[in-house]
Amino acid sequence: MAVGRDQHCVTSGPDPQQPWRAAGWCRGGPRRITLLAAVIGVVASVGAARGQDVENCLLCHQYRGLGRYDAARDRLHLFYVDPDHVRRLEGAHARLACTACHPRDEVAVIPHLPVSRVDCTRTCHFQGADGVERRFSHANVAAVLEQSVHAAEQLSNLSFAGGPLLDERQSKCLYCHDEPVFREARFLRWAASEAGGLGLDRCETCHREQIPTDVAYYLRHIGARLQPARAPLGQAQSCAVCHADPVFLEGRAIHNAVASFVRSFHGKAALLGEESTPDCRACHVARGEDAHRILSRNDPASSVSAARVADTCRSVACHPGADARIASAGVHLDLPSARGTLEYGLAAAFIVLTVLTFGPSLVLCLLELGQIVAGRHHGAGAAMQALTRAVLAHPEGRARLTRFTVSQRVQHWVLAVLFVLLALTGFPMKFADQAWSRTVIDLFGGLGPARNVHHWAGLALIVGLIVHAVYALTVTLRPRGTRVDAQRRAGWRALLQMPMLITPTDLRKANQLLLYLVGLRADPPTFGRFTIKEKFEYLGVFWGTVLLGLTGVVLWKEQVFAGWIGGRGMNVALILHTYEAFLAIIHVGILHIVNVMFSPNVVPLSLATITGDTPIRELAEQHGEMVVQAARDLGLAEPAGGAHG
Amino acid sequence: MAEAKSIPRRASGGRLRRLGKAALRAIPRLYAVAVIVIVVWLSYRALAYLVVSLFTPSRAPAQITEIPTHLDEAVLRTRRADWRGVEASAHPRVPPARYHRIDGWIQPDRFNGCAQAGCHRAFPHAHRPEVRAFLNMHATSVHCGVCHLLGEAEPLVAAWYSLDSGRLRSAPTVLEVFGWMTSDEGRRQLAEPSRADQTRLVSLLRAAAREGNDEPVLREMADHFAAVRHASPDFQRLVEAAREALPRRFRGEYGAKLALVDRATGGPLLNHPGTEAAVRAYLREADTADESRRATLLAAVHPRRRPQALHCTDCHRVEKPLLDFAAAGYPPARIDMLTTPVVFRMIEHIASGQPFYLPTFVSPAEESERTRPDSLRP
Repeated sequence: MAVGRDQHCVTSGPDPQQPWRAAGWCRGGPRRITLLAAVIGVVASVGAARGQDVENCLLCHQYRGLGRYDAARDRLHLFYVDPDHVRRLEGAHARLACTACHPRDEVAVIPHLPVSRVDCTRTCHFQGADGVERRFSHANVAAVLEQSVHAAEQLSNLSFAGGPLLDERQSKCLYCHDEPVFREARFLRWAASEAGGLGLDRCETCHREQIPTDVAYYLRHIGARLQPARAPLGQAQSCAVCHADPVFLEGRAIHNAVASFVRSFHGKAALLGEESTPDCRACHVARGEDAHRILSRNDPASSVSAARVADTCRSVACHPGADARIASAGVHLDLPSARGTLEYGLAAAFIVLTVLTFGPSLVLCLLELGQIVAGRHHGAGAAMQALTRAVLAHPEGRARLTRFTVSQRVQHWVLAVLFVLLALTGFPMKFADQAWSRTVIDLFGGLGPARNVHHWAGLALIVGLIVHAVYALTVTLRPRGTRVDAQRRAGWRALLQMPMLITPTDLRKANQLLLYLVGLRADPPTFGRFTIKEKFEYLGVFWGTVLLGLTGVVLWKEQVFAGWIGGRGMNVALILHTYEAFLAIIHVGILHIVNVMFSPNVVPLSLATITGDTPIRELAEQHGEMVVQAARDLGLAEPAGGAHG
Repeated sequence: MAEAKSIPRRASGGRLRRLGKAALRAIPRLYAVAVIVIVVWLSYRALAYLVVSLFTPSRAPAQITEIPTHLDEAVLRTRRADWRGVEASAHPRVPPARYHRIDGWIQPDRFNGCAQAGCHRAFPHAHRPEVRAFLNMHATSVHCGVCHLLGEAEPLVAAWYSLDSGRLRSAPTVLEVFGWMTSDEGRRQLAEPSRADQTRLVSLLRAAAREGNDEPVLREMADHFAAVRHASPDFQRLVEAAREALPRRFRGEYGAKLALVDRATGGPLLNHPGTEAAVRAYLREADTADESRRATLLAAVHPRRRPQALHCTDCHRVEKPLLDFAAAGYPPARIDMLTTPVVFRMIEHIASGQPFYLPTFVSPAEESERTRPDSLRP
C-alpha cells in the first residue's frame, strides 16, 4: 500500500481516527481525501471504511451477520471482516487491499462471483515506503514446509472427529494460520509506546521528508516478527486443532502431545497466561531455523532427536548451562500413559500414602461430627471440671494450662501465613486448567511474580522450620524441674519425651477414641497437653515441610540439580512436590480448618492459638492428664477417678 | 372465666418454649450435618482427583480445545463466553476453514422463536444468492418479525429486547451515547463539560462496550475519557473523535435486537403467538405431509405472517419509513444514516437480479491480471 507523506498521518499509529489508540496525537494536517473515497463517498455516510480498505469492501463486510448457512453441508459462510483489524493495522496483512488476495474480477461485482482458492505462495506486489513496487511471496515457506513433517502430502490426508476442517479447494496453510495479528513485542512495549506517540511526532517536525513511512507500523511489524507469532497458549490451540483431535491421533498412533504438554510446567505456565514460557515451536524447531521446519524426532536433524534434544533444552534462551541430563525431564510426561515407570510407581505410592494418612483423620473428623448429630456427648465428670476450675483459679494455674506459649502462637501464625501464600501461588500451578487459577495468578501480577512469592515463601518456611527445630530442642533440653527430672530428661531420652512425639500410649488412646466414636466404648480417652490429632498434624507439617522444601529447591534451581540427579530425578522431585503439596492442602484445608474453625464445638474460631487459652470444658474433657499434672504440681487434690474424673 | 382462658394460654406458652428449645438443640445438629456434607464432598473430590490423575488418560484442557474448529451452525448458537478457548486467548484461533479473524463474536439469540422452534436457522435466508447475505446481516440486530410479521400499527412500533433475558429493554447504550453527543443539548454540555458529564460519558461508553461483547475500542475510548481532565483541550479532541468514530460501532453487536411490540402482552413479539401446538404438529408431519396438508400446517404456524416481507426501502427511506426509528431509540444522526437511500436502492437493484459493478477506473486493469491465480489465467 502506498503510504505517502499526506497519508502518513492517516495511518500513523494504530488508528489516528481513534486517538485513544495511541499515546500521542496525530498532527499531520488534514487528511487527504482520495479519489476513490470521493467516488465511493455517496456511501461513506454509513460508516465508510478508511485506512487500507481502498475498495471500501468493509462497507458491507464490517457486519458480523453478513453470511449464509449451507444446510446441505452444515457449513456456515461468514463474509465478515473485522474492520478494526484493518483500521488499526493490527497485522501485516491489514495493509493489503482485499484484491491483493481475491481476484478483482470476482469481487468487483455484487453479488460477487464464486471466489477462487487463495494461493498463499503466489507472488504479490506492494509498494514500499519509497513508493517503489516490490514483489513478495510466501513461496520460500512452502519449500521449507516440504522438508518438514507437515509437507503437503501429509496435510492432504488428514481426518478429524468433526469431519474435514477445510474444503478441498482451500489452502492447507489454514490448518495452522489465520489472519496474522501483530503480537506486541514485550521488549518494545515501552519503546513502541514512546516512539508511536510523542517520539515520532517530534521527529516529524524536522524529518518529515526523510521518514516518508509509517515508522510506528514498521516498529510493530518487526517487533512482532522477532518473536513467535502467537502467545504459547494460542500456539497450543493451533497445534491442538490436529494434535488433540481423537480421530487424527488414532490414525497415527501418536499420543496426545498437547494434553501431556499442558501437564508440564511449560504447559501450565502457558495456561496461566505466561508469554515467555516455551511453546511447541520452541522445542520442535531448532534455534535459528524457520518456524515451519518441524522434523520428526526420528530425524537426526530434528531439534528433539536423541542427539540434539539436550542442546535444545539448554539453549541460551531456556536452560543455559544446564547438564545434558536435563533433557530426560518429562516435558511430555503423562502419568496415566507411563505405567511401569518409576514416576508412575512413585505417584501411585503417594496416592496410597495420602489415603493412609488423610483417610484415618477424615474418619475421625466425620465420626466426631456424627456424635454431635446423634446428640451423643460424654462430658468430663463434675470432679474433673471442678479440678480444672481450681487449677485455673490458682495464681500459677492459668500459666500451667496455657497449651500454646506466645512464641508457639507466633510460630503458628507465621506458618499459617506462609502456608496460605504457598497454597495461593502453588495450587493454581497444579490446577492451571481451572478458571480460578488464572484469576488467582493475575492477582499476584502474573505467573512471574507469583512464582517469586512461592519461592521466597517456601524459603521462609524452610528457615522457619529450622528456627522451630532449634526452638524445640532448646525448650526440650533446657534444664527445669528437680535434679532427678533433669537427669531423666538428659540426652536422647529428652528427645523421646518431646511433647509432640506420638508415643505408644497415644496410639492406644487413638484406638480408644475410635472405639468410643463408633459406640464400642462408653467413654472417650483424655489426653495431655496435645491430642493425638494435634500431634499427627504437627508431624505432618514437619515431614511435609522437609519434603516440600527439599524438592522445591531442586525444582527452583533445576539447572544446578539436573546435573546431579538428571531429568528423571527432576521428574521424581516434581511428583513428590506436587503430591505432597496436595496432601498438605487437603489435610489442612479440609480437616484442620474444620477442626479449628467450622466444627460446632469451636465455630467461628478456636482461640487457643490466639490467646493461648483453652475453654474449661475442652480442658476437662480432652486434656485431663494435663489438668491432673498441673494440679499435682500445684499441690491441689486430684479427683478420685483420675483424669477421667 | 378469666382463669379458664389463662390455662390454655399458659399451655401454649409452654409448647412454644419447648419448640424453641428443640429448635435451639437442632441448630448445632443441622449445622454439623452441613459440615459433614461439605467435608465428604471436598474429600471425595480430592481423592477422586488423585485417582483420575493416575488412571485416566489426559486430555487437553478446555482453554485449548474449546475453540470452534468447524464453521457450522453451532457457531451461531454459542455465546463467546461459552467457548473457553476463545475466552482464554487474546486473539483466539478462528476455525481453520476461515482465514479472517472473528475477535468479537456473533451474539446468539436464544429467544427468537422462529429459530428456536426448530423450523428456521439462525441465518435463515439461503435461497436468493444476490441478497441472502445482506438479509442475514440483519439477523444480528433485528428479529425476523420486524420484516415478516404483520404489525399492529403503521409505522411499525418496535423496541429492543435483551439477548440475555428476552425481555424488553432500553435502546443500546452506544445509540444513547451517540444520541447525546450529537444532540444540541449534548453539544452544549460537552462544549463545557462538567465532571458529571465526564462521569456520565465514561459510564455510558463502558456500558456500551459491555453490551457489544466487551468491545475493545469502546472500552479504550471510555478509559481515555476517564483519564483526561474534563476541562482540557484533550477532552474536546476526544469528543470530536468519538463523534466521528461512534457510527462505526453500529454493527448490530448490542446485546439486544429490535422486535415488534406485542400490544397484548406489552412484550417483544418473538414468535407467532399461540402457535406452539401448530409448530409441534408441523415438525411432526412436515416430512410426510402432502402439499395441501403442508400448506394448512404452515398457515397454522404463521398466523401473522406478512404476505410479502418488507423490502429494504420500506424502512430505509427518508419519507415516512415504515419503521419508526425514533421511537425505537435511534438518535437523529443515526436515523439519517439508516434512511440514506443510495445504498439501499443499490441493494434493491441487486435484488432485482441486476449486478452492481464497483468502479474500476481507480484500479488499473493489470492489477486484476496480476492478482488472478495462475489457474484462472488464460
